[in-house]
Amino acid sequence: MELKTLALDLGVFSVLQDKTALQVQQEPLVPGWYIDPRTGQRIFYDPNTRNFYTMGGGVYLPLMSLATPPKQVNVAPGDRLKIDVSFKYTGPAITGASIRYCVGPNGVFGFTEQLVAVETFNIPQVITPPSSPNVVNSHTFNIPTNVGTDWTCIYVKMYGGTPSLGGEVIPSYIFGYQDALVIVGTQPSITEFKIADFAKV
Amino acid sequence: MVLDIALAPMALATKEFNAGDKVRVTVSFKYVVGVNTSVKLSAGPYYNNVFGKHLVDPCVGRADVTLTAVSTPTGGSATVDFVLIAKSLGGIDNGTYGLRVWVEGTNAVAEQDNVIVVSGNSSGGDMFSSMMPMLMMVMMMGMIMPMTQQMGEGTDEE
Repeated sequence: MELKTLALDLGVFSVLQDKTALQVQQEPLVPGWYIDPRTGQRIFYDPNTRNFYTMGGGVYLPLMSLATPPKQVNVAPGDRLKIDVSFKYTGPAITGASIRYCVGPNGVFGFTEQLVAVETFNIPQVITPPSSPNVVNSHTFNIPTNVGTDWTCIYVKMYGGTPSLGGEVIPSYIFGYQDALVIVGTQPSITEFKIADFAKV
Repeated sequence: MVLDIALAPMALATKEFNAGDKVRVTVSFKYVVGVNTSVKLSAGPYYNNVFGKHLVDPCVGRADVTLTAVSTPTGGSATVDFVLIAKSLGGIDNGTYGLRVWVEGTNAVAEQDNVIVVSGNSSGGDMFSSMMPMLMMVMMMGMIMPMTQQMGEGTDEE
């Protein structure tokens, strides 16, 4: 089986102490209803959990907004899926930070983590803002035979370490792609089917 | 200079066969599948009438095709044989037929009208079947006549 690679570009981030990071995130500071400028959807922000919610059936549903992927990767049972993460980092050295890689379906009730892996990594001190990503990490999943055809979404989050990048439950750095994967199922999909020749034998 | 050439699928040439001939059909396709699997490839002649297309079922041939697991579209080819069973054996009549090939359980179908010309069926069976209605009439007359005679005799006795 083939090794497929999906690269996630996390853009720029810094440690929590860096005030510029807060400016980049542009999170609202007060609870209330907001309108997502990209989708026009009404969403509720709770500063205690630092999460967005939608209202469905009288309950608040956690909203996890995943980005549109730059490409889609076909994977099948037995394939290996390599997820590369890279970002630009400026700040103090960090030891023992974690990256959690997740693959699964993302629906109305949130992301269901079906494949999960945690990688631990260190970041050296960086004083000058880099011009290109200076931190990389990756994890390779083996796609199981029972993979669901809806396991199409991917997200990663970074947390922990010394000094800390933030908590695991409410991570400051989370990023994902909606429908980044195309799961090739156990039923064949046939295209360009045509009669090449026929003759008496 | 830019050449603007549109490629269209090549039409199949009409071919002539005799009743009883075995025909081998070769198909090409692209596929993806998550696990090694086997599909059933079928082929056979069909004819058109006012009610639509009709396969000549006794002549349909089938073959198992193994597909190796691939997650990116991959080219493949396969063959399937079918026999033009003679009309006297419940098969195909003389005439012109289309050719249809398909993979069971999928939406993969390819067909083309009027590419199989069948001949060579003997006419003996046809003569018998055309005389059957006349023979039936004679037999029925033979059964009815004695009955009417008996009814006539009964009336005389009264």
